[in-house]
Amino acid sequence: MGTGELDREAHVAAGTEVNGGTAAPRTLAEALRARGDEGLAALLRARPDLLVPVPGDLTQLATRAGTRASVVRALERLDRFALQTAEALAVAPDPAPYPVLLGLMAGDEGDADIEAALPRAVGILREQALVWGDDDRLRLVRTARELLAPSPQHPSPTGLGPTVAEATAGMSPTRLQEIIATAGLPTTHDPVSAVAALTDLFTDRERMGGLLDTAPMEALGILDRLVWGPPYGEVTPDPTPPVRWLRDRGLLLPATARTVVLPREAALHLRAGRAHRVPEPVAPAVTPAREYRPQVVDSTAAGQAYTALAAVEELGKEWNEGGPAVLRAGGMSVRDLKRTAVALDVTEQVAAFWLEVAYGAGLIAPDGEADERFAPTPAFDEWLGLPAAERWALLAGTWLAATRTPGLVGSQDTKGRTLAVLGPDLDRGVAPEVRRRVLTLLAGLPAGASPDPETLLARLRWERPLRGAARETGTDLRARLASWTLTEAELLGVTGRGALAAHGRALLPGAPAPGTDHPVDGHAPEHPHRGAVPAPAAAGPEAVGGRRPAHAAVADHAGAAALLAPLLPEPVDHVLLQADLTAVAPGPLQRPLADTLAVLADVESKGGATVYRFTPGSVRRALDSGQAAADLHAFLAAHSRTPVPQPLAYLIDDVARRHGHLRVGAASAYVRCDDDAVLGEILADKRSAGLRLRRLAPTVLAAQTDPATLLEGLRSMGFAPAAESAEGDVLITRADAYRTPARTAPAPVPEGPPEPDATLLGAAVRAIRAGDRAATVVRRDDSAAPDTAGDGAPPRTSAAETLATVQAAAMTGSAVWIGYVNADGAASQRVIAPVRVEGGFVTAYDHTADEVRTYPLHRITGVAELADDAG
Amino acid sequence: MNGPLIVQSDKTLLLEVDHERADACRRAIAPFAELERAPEHIHTYRVTPLGLWNARAAGHDAEQVVDALVEFSRYPVPHALLVDVAETMARYGRLTLSKHPTHGLVLTTTDRPVLEEVLRSRKIQPLVGTRIDPDTVAVHPSERGQIKQTLLKLGWPAEDLAGYVDGEAHRIDLAEDGWALRPYQQQAVEGFWHGGSGVVVLPCGAGKTLVGAGAMARAKATTLILVTNTVSARQWKHELVKRTSLTEDEIGEYSGTKKEIRPVTIATYQVLTTRRKGVYPHLELFDSRDWGLIVYDEVHLLPAPVFKFTADLQARRRLGLTATLVREDGRESDVFSLIGPKRFDAPWKEIEAQGYIAPADCVEVRVNLTESERLAYATAETEEKYRFCATTATKQKVAEALVRKFAGQQILVIGQYIDQLDELGEHLDAPVIKGETPNAQREKLFESFRQGEISVLVVSKVANFSIDLPEATVAIQVSGTFGSRQEEAQRLGRVLRPKADGHQAHFYSVVARDTIDQDFAAHRQRFLAEQGYAYRIVDADELLAQDTDPDLSGA
Repeated sequence: MGTGELDREAHVAAGTEVNGGTAAPRTLAEALRARGDEGLAALLRARPDLLVPVPGDLTQLATRAGTRASVVRALERLDRFALQTAEALAVAPDPAPYPVLLGLMAGDEGDADIEAALPRAVGILREQALVWGDDDRLRLVRTARELLAPSPQHPSPTGLGPTVAEATAGMSPTRLQEIIATAGLPTTHDPVSAVAALTDLFTDRERMGGLLDTAPMEALGILDRLVWGPPYGEVTPDPTPPVRWLRDRGLLLPATARTVVLPREAALHLRAGRAHRVPEPVAPAVTPAREYRPQVVDSTAAGQAYTALAAVEELGKEWNEGGPAVLRAGGMSVRDLKRTAVALDVTEQVAAFWLEVAYGAGLIAPDGEADERFAPTPAFDEWLGLPAAERWALLAGTWLAATRTPGLVGSQDTKGRTLAVLGPDLDRGVAPEVRRRVLTLLAGLPAGASPDPETLLARLRWERPLRGAARETGTDLRARLASWTLTEAELLGVTGRGALAAHGRALLPGAPAPGTDHPVDGHAPEHPHRGAVPAPAAAGPEAVGGRRPAHAAVADHAGAAALLAPLLPEPVDHVLLQADLTAVAPGPLQRPLADTLAVLADVESKGGATVYRFTPGSVRRALDSGQAAADLHAFLAAHSRTPVPQPLAYLIDDVARRHGHLRVGAASAYVRCDDDAVLGEILADKRSAGLRLRRLAPTVLAAQTDPATLLEGLRSMGFAPAAESAEGDVLITRADAYRTPARTAPAPVPEGPPEPDATLLGAAVRAIRAGDRAATVVRRDDSAAPDTAGDGAPPRTSAAETLATVQAAAMTGSAVWIGYVNADGAASQRVIAPVRVEGGFVTAYDHTADEVRTYPLHRITGVAELADDAG
Repeated sequence: MNGPLIVQSDKTLLLEVDHERADACRRAIAPFAELERAPEHIHTYRVTPLGLWNARAAGHDAEQVVDALVEFSRYPVPHALLVDVAETMARYGRLTLSKHPTHGLVLTTTDRPVLEEVLRSRKIQPLVGTRIDPDTVAVHPSERGQIKQTLLKLGWPAEDLAGYVDGEAHRIDLAEDGWALRPYQQQAVEGFWHGGSGVVVLPCGAGKTLVGAGAMARAKATTLILVTNTVSARQWKHELVKRTSLTEDEIGEYSGTKKEIRPVTIATYQVLTTRRKGVYPHLELFDSRDWGLIVYDEVHLLPAPVFKFTADLQARRRLGLTATLVREDGRESDVFSLIGPKRFDAPWKEIEAQGYIAPADCVEVRVNLTESERLAYATAETEEKYRFCATTATKQKVAEALVRKFAGQQILVIGQYIDQLDELGEHLDAPVIKGETPNAQREKLFESFRQGEISVLVVSKVANFSIDLPEATVAIQVSGTFGSRQEEAQRLGRVLRPKADGHQAHFYSVVARDTIDQDFAAHRQRFLAEQGYAYRIVDADELLAQDTDPDLSGA
């Protein structure tokens, strides 16, 4: 790829524009210029990357739209039919009139679906500036052509090979003569007209048919194998007769010494003109797998929504006394995740999901202390105070817009590190778009219908087909995101039994009404290229500016909350007490009631109802929290629908009877004396106030000061106390020999550093050699490069020059000397061998640092070629 | 949206019994959910894989289960639970045990990876023979029970289509002269017969013997009956002679003293598990006749060696009878996998409501230890602690007071420790039945108790089971086998036979307060409390105070 060519595409015609008048545009820039503002806005909306930074003029916009990175990005966002159309244009003559394109897509026989869908596909390509020119002269932008056209290294998805002209490029004229002669064409000495004659023969259906009629059966079999690609076949130096037959007539042309290729024109003849084996003009429909009554769906989803709230609430409660520690690299350890999963009684994957949702909603966060732990945020308490439906709206809204993907937790990144929940690297930019798209597709089904997940995935694949490597390795992030979306939506209660619930639908503003999935007309809001884009864009600035306030998301989804609210179970204000010392709350309890009961009894089972069990331990806990037995009796009597069973009343009294019977406290020292009058005297003395004495028993005082101070204090008051050992003996004070705490003896300090080992030595030598190479090269360069100041200052070149030099170096694989300013503004010089120049970055082997690094081009102040290496 | 059922996330189902649709709901969920607790207001059922598989075996499918849950549930049923139900039920039937015309017993699969998975298990390998084809593997016929049990543990239950042997035919009819099987007994017999093998759970005193007799009358084949002790064996014989066409001569007793093998043979677990020189000499009993039916009385007591024998008996019909399928060793599931699934279960309170067992008043009497006893208790060795607090002298006073209070009624005093019982017997002037009492003496005493010649009987744990004392109305428990739930239930069972005049039974459990005795008591009472028997708690001091006040004493 050369920048020169791109430039021509963009501006060469600028000079001829004047005399062109209203004639067809001759460059992309011209075509863009001819568009209205609407059209330009549509282009920028579809390809927002062109906006950063905002291009100075249309020429610049056209250039930017033609860069490889931007074109790849645009191609990756095409639906399958638009992509197939682009692929067909890439194998068509340039420019191609519309009928030719239609012929390639629909074949000789034609296809009504394709005829109907093609204008839309061309429209999309044109809108995105991938195709320009009017219908007589459709041109695919050069970069896209290069990306999509078949080459031996990158076989085209069409399975077509090179044209006759391309395949015969280096062939000897004699050989060409032989071929056209064998094919029954009039001989000509001019190779160009020979190629043209052969091309004409292959594209003429009738004459070609006649030629093939004479072919031996085996030869037709060989063609059959190659026709849908890959078009290359291996041949031995001494080919079999049928291969020889084909080769002699140019139906197989030599590609390399050992391979032959079926030329594009011949293949198209055999395919009846079709560029694609299976053109897919119509988006596959998402079909319902099962249909439920919408009420069933809504209530199931509401039940799950309630479970979601309970899970997050419980998570917060679980962490009330401080959550798990934050790993040094961020996130939570696997062990803590396991523990949380056990506490919530869910699988680790589900626990990870709740954690991420709560984290995304700002309900939990690291506390920022030195010994960092996770904990609920103040927003959590605020959230608890909201009505249930609004609490849900916050969770669902957060989930919908989140780029964090809990589904990735536990998998490994490219460096083999396990991705931790709440940790870094879980953000996937496409996640919100996929989620919204999946839900929108669900919204297109009739109310109450749950989709067949396979058809849903097929539809998503059609809308965003995979290109290149991802397709072969099967690491389809979008498909995984889509299936996670289905599970997560179910967990959150956005869907119920797989079908979108009414409150789930309300989360999607502008979602289609139920049952309106018309894949063919797929335009405007239905189209995947739009609708999805604003979401991340809108989230962008806020993400930078700080967390969205909790209430904003709630307000966004007030409609959803309003729909959900009546479906959520009404909190109940009573429990049923039973003689087996259990209490059943036949629904969610009102909060103060639930809190008190949770202290007074142990939760035995959760769900729609809650089962509590009273045990001596739980009753003791309630008493410890400051409630008296009478309070507990009154509480139970007030909230029980049924009489309080006698064994329960008895249990409370029995525990209360013994509660507080033993008292425990802390004292630092004590005074004891058989004569309680003396102790009374001490207490009455004002001077004893500082000793903080308290009478525990007639003959015992407890002090809050240490024994030494107490002895001192009592002596100063005129008493003669004796110290007592732990066993009660009188301590005799005697000066002890003073000792340090345990200490280790000093280690010997030999002179000089320890002897280095082999590894250290090897590394040191390598480093020295690398530094040396950098230094010597630079010195030689000083004299050679006139651009640079003679005193070894970094080179300075213009940006264009820099780019050209670096690209040239990448092609030849040679090293260059660059001046570089790092992110802190510090300038340095390095010797690098560029490997790849792409998207504004140079990836290069840095001789100075002895590793491969990537440098932004704009930070390179200048570049100079190195003098030939003398070594 | 106002059903009687609440589905919990831990797969328990809460059924509100006072709800108008409670009965319909109970019938809908009974095939697949186990009744776990049945107190006054809300009954708890549990959905277990075993229960779901039993439902599959009985011909119910996942759709029915899901419909029952959704239909009666008050709140939306979690989708995950429904999916889990469907997935669990789909595991049943992938493997089947059947008779192959040439290879004998074989395990076949409809899902080859499942077979591969189980065959890789080290526990399965010794139980199977050669691989006949990719989907079939031979099974040693003697391992039929073992492999079923192991597959169950692996989570791939096998459907047993290998059938049962008919056994040697022998004519047995019920002699329904002036009496008939009660509806629930009839249902239990039908449930068992339809399922082929299994366990019938009925409250004490609800007539389990008759269910056995009914099953024998259906089988019409030679029958082996395994019971807990000799007294019980005699009672079975007596009852069978009375209720069926069988005569004395057709029924044999195989016990420590007699070794008769007749068309219907009643053997004790004890004699079967007697071991001499490392072998079980009486094991041959199982093979001595071609039994068509084996009845296990009090199946919850099945001793471990009998588990092993039973595993070899999978081709014969097996009926387990019990009131309390709770084992403190947690081997309930082994009972289910070897004898068969639960075929019939009736909550105690339901049978009581129908009038077939007597209503009971359960009271826990809390006794305070004296100062000196408390000190002695605190210093006692751990293993002596229970004995010490369970035999405190105050309990004797309480027992005596209670006996005086119910003077004139038939009273059983039940305890664990012989010294304590002897002393009580002396103070109450009542005969004592304990382990060393000869069988003849026991029967004589029981008989005179039945006849009303003796009104107070002091018994040790030998009388825990299967002793039929219809007229006993008051039971006073002074000590027990630690925290055994089934013992407590069985002891209550002694007084649950419906009384001639329909009056209430009384069950007193005397417990030492603030000791390990109280903790054990709480555990012992759980089964009954969960069956809806609400214990009242009374202070011994109050009771003794009443006793001294002549106006308040007496019933």
